[in-house]
Amino acid sequence: MSKQLDMFKTNLEEFASKHKQEIRKNPEFRVQFQDMCATIGVDPLASGKGFWSEMLGVGDFYYELGVQIIEVCLALKHRNGGLITLEELHQQVLKGRGKFAQDVSQDDLIRAIKKLKALGTGFSIIPVGGTYLIQSVPAELNMDHTVVLQLAEKSGYVTVSDIKATLKWETERARQVLEHLLKEGLAWLDLQAPGEAHYWLPALFTDLYSQEITADEAREALP
Amino acid sequence: MAMSFEWPWQYRFPPFFTLQPNMDTRQKQLAAWCSLVLSFCRLHKQSSMTVMEAQESPLFNNVKLQRKLPVESIQIVLEELRKKGNLEWLDKNKSSFLIMWRRPEEWGKLIYQWVSRSGQNNSVFTLYELTCGEDTEDEEFHGLDEATLLRALQALQQEHKAEIITVSDGRGVKFF
Repeated sequence: MSKQLDMFKTNLEEFASKHKQEIRKNPEFRVQFQDMCATIGVDPLASGKGFWSEMLGVGDFYYELGVQIIEVCLALKHRNGGLITLEELHQQVLKGRGKFAQDVSQDDLIRAIKKLKALGTGFSIIPVGGTYLIQSVPAELNMDHTVVLQLAEKSGYVTVSDIKATLKWETERARQVLEHLLKEGLAWLDLQAPGEAHYWLPALFTDLYSQEITADEAREALP
Repeated sequence: MAMSFEWPWQYRFPPFFTLQPNMDTRQKQLAAWCSLVLSFCRLHKQSSMTVMEAQESPLFNNVKLQRKLPVESIQIVLEELRKKGNLEWLDKNKSSFLIMWRRPEEWGKLIYQWVSRSGQNNSVFTLYELTCGEDTEDEEFHGLDEATLLRALQALQQEHKAEIITVSDGRGVKFF
C-alpha cells in the first residue's frame, strides 16, 4: 500500500514541478487543473498551507488575486456603492497588473471571489443577464432587490413602470425595492428623465468602464 | 474653449443633475460638483459669475445629456463652496459671486513665499507688478484677477505679513 502511495507522491511531485509555470501563466490550464482536482475530490484552494498550494503555488496565485480584487473594489466603492460588474472588475484588475503580469481570466476572478466569500469578507456574486455583479460591501440584498438589479442591467437604470411591466409587481413593492437601493447607495435618483423617475446604478453605467481610478479613490483604498 | 477640459464621469451620469435624497450619496454628489465648478472656472479663467450665467453655462447645463442642475440645487452647491472658502457673494441679493479655485489664504501663502524667497520683504509693490510684472511670470499667481489678489493680500494683512497701501495710481502692498 505504502509503495503505491510513494509512487503516487512522486508522480504528483513531477507533475507539480512540470506544470507550476503553466499554472501561473495559463488561465485555461488553471481551469482544466481545477476541474481535474474536482474530479478526484481535491480542492487546491482549501487551505493555504496544503500540499497542492505549496507545491503548485495555486493558493498564492488566488490569494494575490483576491487582494487585488479587494483593492479595486475599495477604490471604486465610493462611486458604485460596492457593486461592480465582473467585466469592469476584470478590466481594472488587468490594468493594475500591468503589461508583463500573467493573464487573468474572469473564471480566475470568480474563483478568487468565492474564496473571499468563504473567508467571510462580505463578498457575494449576483448573476445578472449572462454575467455577474460582484457585491463587495455587505448591503442587505434580498431576492426582490437582486431581481430588480437584473432588470436594470440592460440599460443601467430601472423605473417603477419597468418593474411593474416585467415582473408584474404592485407599485408599492416596486417602490420599496428602489428606495432600498437608494438607501444602500447603489442607485441614484434621476428626476429629469422623460416620463417618470429613473433609478440609475453607477455599477452598471457602462461609460464608467473607461474611467481610470482617480487619485482620490486610490487614497480611499488604503487602510 | 472647453475643448481640452475633461469632464468627470459624473457629468455624463444623468442623476448627477438631481439633488440626491440619500444623504451619503448627496455628500459625494456635492463634493463632485464643488470640484467640477472649481476646475471649470480655473480652466476658463473665470473668476466671477452671475447665477443666471451659471444656470445656462455648460457647467450646470449638459445640453447633450438633456439635464440641467435646477437653480435651487445650484444655490446649494454655491453655498458649499462658500463654506469651504472658495466663493464669495458680490451682492446682497446673491445674484453674482467671486469664485476662487484656490482660497485667498492659499494664494496669500504662495505670494508671501515668493516675496521671502526673492528677499523682497519690506519692499513695496503695486498690484499690477505682482500679477503682471516680468518678475512674477513663472509664479502661479501671475495673471491672478484683482478681486482674488486683494483678498489674498487681506489674508496676509490679518497675519501682519503685509499691508495694503495707496500708491500713486492705485493700490499697492508692502510686505514685512
